[in-house]
Formats: sequence, structure tokens, C-alpha cells
Amino acid sequence: MPTTAVEELNIILAGVGGQGVILMSDLLGNSALADGLNIQGSEVLGMAQRGGSVFSNIRLGDGAVGPLTPQGKCDILVAVEPSEALRYVKELAPSALVILNTTEVRPYTVATGESAYPAFDVILATVRKVTKQIIPLDATQIAKEAGNALAANTAMLGALFGSGRLPIKVETMKELIKSRVPPKAVEANLKAFDMGYAAVAESLNA
Amino acid sequence: MNHMKQLTITSDAPGAPLLLLGNEAIARGAIEAGVTVLSSYPGTPSSEIGQAVIDAAKDLPHMYVEWSANEKLGFEVAFSASMTGVRTMTTMKHVGLNVAHDPVMTACNMGVKGGLVVVVADDPHMHSSQNEQDSRYVALQGYLPVFEPATGQEAKDMMADAFMFSEEWGQMVMFRPVTRLSHARSRVILGPIERPEREAVFDKDSTRWVCQPSNSRRHRVEMLTRHARIKEAADSFKYNRLDLRPGAKLGIIASGLGWAYLEDAVRWLGIADQVSILKLGMTVPIPDKLVLELLEATPEVLVVEDLEPIIENQVKVVAQNHKIAKTIHGKNVVPVNGELSTRRVMEALAQVLSVEMPVDFRSLDAVGDEAAPLLPLRPPALCSGCPHRASLYAEGQAARKYKREFKKEVAARCGDIGCYGLGFFAPLSSDDTQICMSASLGAAQGIAQATGGPTIAHIGDSTFFHSGLSSLANAVFNNANVTLLILDNAITAQTGFQEDPATGRTASGSPSPVIKPEDVARAMQVKFVEVVDPFEVDTTIDTIGRALRSEGPAVVVCRQACQVLKQRELKEEGKRFVPCEIDREACNDCRVCIKRLGCPAILIEAEGVVIDSGQCTGCMVCAAVCPKDAIKSVGSR
Ligand SMILES: Cc1ncc(C[n+]2csc(CCOP(=O)(O)OP(=O)(O)O)c2C)c(N)n1
Repeated sequence: MPTTAVEELNIILAGVGGQGVILMSDLLGNSALADGLNIQGSEVLGMAQRGGSVFSNIRLGDGAVGPLTPQGKCDILVAVEPSEALRYVKELAPSALVILNTTEVRPYTVATGESAYPAFDVILATVRKVTKQIIPLDATQIAKEAGNALAANTAMLGALFGSGRLPIKVETMKELIKSRVPPKAVEANLKAFDMGYAAVAESLNA
Repeated sequence: MNHMKQLTITSDAPGAPLLLLGNEAIARGAIEAGVTVLSSYPGTPSSEIGQAVIDAAKDLPHMYVEWSANEKLGFEVAFSASMTGVRTMTTMKHVGLNVAHDPVMTACNMGVKGGLVVVVADDPHMHSSQNEQDSRYVALQGYLPVFEPATGQEAKDMMADAFMFSEEWGQMVMFRPVTRLSHARSRVILGPIERPEREAVFDKDSTRWVCQPSNSRRHRVEMLTRHARIKEAADSFKYNRLDLRPGAKLGIIASGLGWAYLEDAVRWLGIADQVSILKLGMTVPIPDKLVLELLEATPEVLVVEDLEPIIENQVKVVAQNHKIAKTIHGKNVVPVNGELSTRRVMEALAQVLSVEMPVDFRSLDAVGDEAAPLLPLRPPALCSGCPHRASLYAEGQAARKYKREFKKEVAARCGDIGCYGLGFFAPLSSDDTQICMSASLGAAQGIAQATGGPTIAHIGDSTFFHSGLSSLANAVFNNANVTLLILDNAITAQTGFQEDPATGRTASGSPSPVIKPEDVARAMQVKFVEVVDPFEVDTTIDTIGRALRSEGPAVVVCRQACQVLKQRELKEEGKRFVPCEIDREACNDCRVCIKRLGCPAILIEAEGVVIDSGQCTGCMVCAAVCPKDAIKSVGSR
């Protein structure tokens, strides 16, 4: 697949501790680097404890200068945990693409009744106030089918590439997955990547 | 690509690109400059700089690196090592500079020999700090040049140059990143690494390194002269750049990330031809001639900088001295509090220029406001199995028992800065005060002396050795009615597991004696000193209770390893914790375990209270709390 040159592409990766968001960010950043792109980004570090909210943003192209995606300029939001999408709706560009994992990670405050978990429809309706381009997919299920429940993050990366909007070669990304993921998990991760990719590519063509 | 995979921050590969954290870029800059000594105390957002240099030192035998006991020591070691002619550095967070302030102020007077760079990371928006303060005020006070990087690449380049600059002028440099730069990730093109071939030699010179007034009066004059020369040189400093556009409606002066956000804003608004920009890499002192040129060429000026009006006030002095009556905007349109963003810069621009916003921020805010209350709460919590939870629970129980017995409250429970700071949150609610590192013991003394006490303080091992030693001496000296819990997990956990005097190992991994807080307390003549394992809940409650009833200051050391590290160790050995489980028959769903401990491994599912075996570390504290004896170790099945 040919890569599209971009002046500036702003991506936000959102999830909770334990979902591998920082690894996604590292893979995305290093694949962009390998393809010779300018990259700026930043992470919220030190909060990666299990269950806490984790955020990373990656800005590709020569048009990006600062480390943070400007509010209103996020082109693609990848929410590995569905409710976390709500935290970043206010960052979205009007034409933004939102890729949502449908599997929830509920914090203990929901169990104790201190807070409530929003219905998926409510999440969708709220995001729709900013953009209509929303692709939900069950990355966690995909990962299980691919043979490794922990590969939901690579399934989401596949989904991101399946959008066809990245200026990075799919092959570059796959090579990197091979070199960064523990050897026995490589096959499942590549499979999860392909399945995530296909799910989004199909839903865009539909 | 395989080639890139092998690159690290110590690779001698000039021209190669690497994806680096801002803090790693700063570390790389120091390595390129051939830094020989690093002595630092950790603190977010600066910690990864020291860690990266420490890791790199394993490949670079000419280096000496240490985690120091506190920032004052970190600075003193780096400063005095620079007296021997080698290049040295220290890193700290903004509040660390308060601790190092005393020697810094005299060292400014004395100047340096080998290049000395003091990295102070400011934390606008207090992402992980107790206050928001602008370190550049200290630089103004001490006539220190300040370098502010705007991008990861610049952070690396500028850091390397800072050593050269410091050496050339005989003055230390303050290098000031902010949180978002420290934690930025970007492509950085590496430069060559300098291999220093200097020998460290301390030339005894009683006129140079002794701060007797007779010397210091001369030092101060020399410092003022040095500063005046640096100021002149600032006009040709390579990281100060003036870009004049003919006919520009506005002149803008920006530094650090303020400049990066400005670039994003100007491009998005499409107003590049309407503005002239002076980018400052050195913000103390400012380059008068460049500033004057901008002031003369544009009808109005706007200053964009994170936190306080340090550049702005200097620019106003230049304008005043040259009788220029133009409007100089700054903190009237750019907020002092919080951190800058592209949006904040755009909104500042909109107040001085007529520009149209490319998106409707208000409607985005409205959606954000609607979305926020829908989010389930994910509050920060102590890890499952954290020994601090057990210690603070026991502390609370002991205080409650004290009240029942004496019909009088423990006057205050004073907290400190470390992971245990999270005890503030429900259900532990352990902290009535938190001020700064080691202030728990000071606060407990003040309240005890005013009310008669008793009071409780709790402090971690790293914080105790950072600045708690003199606090304990004061408590003994003045016979304060306080009970001090020292939560000894033998590591500096909160900032990423740095070694400290209780660890038994230096930063570079060589063994060092374990200094035990109980030995220190006994040597300081504390009469009540006991050591407990906080996982033995009843014993811990009882011991703290006896400490509260004893006369004068009492010390209880709660010793148990950080469970995150313990887990890592077990994993390396191919083992894992044996978790707990709930006996369904015995559990009556009272939820006392959840209400008292708030451990993230205890969940409520359809069948009732359950323990997540993936998170449980088997500390058994919940088992001790359970009134029905319904929690058992899986191992005991
Ligand atoms: C003056 C100062 N320096 C550094 C920090 C950053 N900091 C916060 S907590 C902490 C150390 C905590 O270590 P310890 O007391 O051993 O507790 P632990 O986190 O291991 O439980 C540090 C260095 C700070 N807040 N203030």
C-alpha cells in the first residue's frame, strides 16, 4: 500500500494502565522514525499504574512543532478503552476519525458505586457531537481470536493503519512489531494487527 | 531499520536519528559534551535525565554518577567536582532548587572551573508537584544565565553547548525544561561524542573557593562583570534568533515551549507574514540589541513564556531605558498560572491582532463539559499489596483507639511527599497536612508543641534521609510529643525506584551499607524505637498505640519492600505471588475490606466481593481486617 505524504497528522492514543498504550506509542513513533518522518509527541508518564488513565499523542510531518496536539486539531483518536474517548472529545478536529475498542475496563469506583460507567450508546452520541466518523471494533475479542488476549493494542494499531491515513508503510510497522514483541507472541500480534487492519479497511469501504 | 534498533543514547553515531524522550535528549547532550560527574536527587519531571546518564555511565568508564541524598548535596558534589576542572551536572525538579538554594547562591558568586550545568525542570500546571514556581527567579537573583530548549533536538544541542558556554564564561548555567518538554518524544539527530581527556585536579587557591567576606566582596564584583559581558554576548548567542518581517503588525518574543506553541498557532492561523518573531534560547539575561531591534520595527510587542513574566519584565526595562513607549503585552493576555498550549497562545494573539479562530473552542469546551461527568472515576491509588496501605491503616486504627481510651483526639496526622501521599485519599484519609519533603515531622512538632499533642508524622526512607534527620534531632532536642512512622521500603519508589541510603546499593550498582532509620533514631537518643512489619497488622496497631502513649518523641519503623520491585524480582526468578481468595460461605458481603483498605485487587462482581488474582500480591492485610475471617491465601487451600 502506498504511503500518503502529510504536512501534519495528529494522533491521540488513549487507554488505561495495563493496556500497552505506551508500547503502541513507541511502535508508532519508531516506525515513523524508520520511514524518515518528522515526529513530535508527548506522553503522560508516571501514571501507568494499573487502571489509571494513560495518554500519548503523536504528531507526524514537518508541520508539527510543539509536543502536544493543539486542541481542535486531533485527526485520529484511538481509544483502547471506550470511555477514555470521552476525555479527549474536546481535542478533536471536526473531521476527526475515532477508532473505539468496545471492550470496557471498569475501575473499582464503579464497583463501589462512587461512579458509573457510561453506556456505549452514550459514548457514541457524545463523540458524534464533534465528528460522525467513528469506527467501533472489539479489539479485545480480535486479540483473543488471534491467539493472545494481550494483543488488543496491536489490533488497534492495525485498525489505525487500516484507516489508510498514515504516512507510514505497513511493512515498516510489521518489521518493528517483530523486533519489539517477545518472540513467542509475534505471530499472534501480527495476526491481531492484520485483523484490526481488515476490520477498519472494510468498514471504510462499506 | 535493524541498524536503528541497536542505537542507544551512548552510540557514537553522529547524524543518526533516534526517538528520544526530552529528558533522554538532555542526557545525550551531556554525554556528547563529555560530562564526567553527575550527582542528582530525583523528582518528576526531571528524574529520567539522571537515570539516563546513570545508565549510560555503565558504557562510559570516565564517568562518576550518583543519586545524592538531596538536591543540596547533588549540587554541592557537582559544583565542587567542577572546581577540579571536569564537566559536571546536577538535575532536579523546581522545588529541589529551593533545597539547593543556599549553596547555589554562593556558587554563583564564585563562578566555576569545569563546565557546570544545573538542570531544573519546572512543572507548570503541577502535573506532579505541590506548587508552581518559576526557577528563573533564582537565576535572576544569582545572575545565572538560563537556557530554555524549545524542542527535543534543541534540548540535546543546547545541553551540549551549555557545558562549553559555562566553561567559556566561568559561570554555571541553569538549564530549564518544563514537564511537557521533559516528557516529549521526538526525533533527535545525534551529534559526535566528546571523550574528555582531562585529569581532575583540585588547585588549592584560598582566594577562589573560600567565601570569607574579603573574598566574597571581590567575587561579587567579578560576577557582576561576568554577567554584563554575557549580556553583551547574548546578542550573538546561537539559540537567540530574530526573524523580522517587513510590515509586521506585531512583534513576538517567545521562549521554550512557548515558542513551539507559537509556531503551531501562527501556522494554523496563517499569520506568518503579520508577525516578527524573536525566539530566545537564553532568557536570562536577554539580548538587549535584538530586543531593541524588534521593539523599533513593530508597533506592539507580545511576550510568550511559561509561568512568570521573567522575559517580559526584562523587555520592559529595555523599553524604558530607551524611552520606547510601545505597548508590551505578556501576562495581561497569557495566563501566569497553568501551562501554555497552542490554544492559549492563539487566544492571546486574538486579543492583540484581529484573527479568526479556525475552530470553535467554545463548542468543543461545551462537549468536553458534557463528557467529563460521564467518565468513570479512575483516581490514583496505592498499588495492590503496597505496604504503605497497611502502615497507614494501622496508624489510623491506633489513633482511633487512642481517642477511645483517652477521650482525646490525636491532634494531627502529618503526611509527607512520597507514594504514601496517596493515603490522603479515602478510605485511608491519613493526612491532615502535607507541605514539602520531610515537613511531616516539622508540622507534627509545631502542632504538638501548640496543643500538647500527641501528633503523628509518617515519612518514607528517601524523604527521611533527604531532610528528615535534622527534623528528628529537633524533636529530641525540644522533647516534642510526636510519634514518627518511618515507612521504610528501602527505595525511592514514587519517582521510579532510585537507590537511597536505606537501599544498600549505589546508583551504579555497587554495594553500600544499609543505613537503618532505627539506628539513627537510637543514636539521636529517641527512647521509644521499634521496628515492625506492617503486614503484621495487629502488632503494628499495638506498637503505634504504645508509641503514642510513651513520653516524648517515639519512632516506629515500618519495614516492608516495595511490592512492585518484589514482583519484578519474583518474575525474574520465574515465580509469582500467591494471591488471596474469598471464602464464599464465610463472606457476608459486609465489604469492610473495601471500605477500610481500598485495595485495587478487591472488586465487587455479581457474586459479591472477589479478589482479582492477577492483581493480588497476597499481603494478607485484608484477611486481617475481615471480621468474618473469610479471606484465605490460595496457597493454604
Ligand atoms: C524537594 C523535592 N525533591 C524531590 C521531590 C520529588 N519526590 C516526590 S516523592 C519523592 C521520594 C519519595 O521516596 P520515599 O520517601 O522513600 O517514599 P516512597 O515513594 O518510596 O514510598 C521524591 C524524590 C519533591 N517532591 N521535592
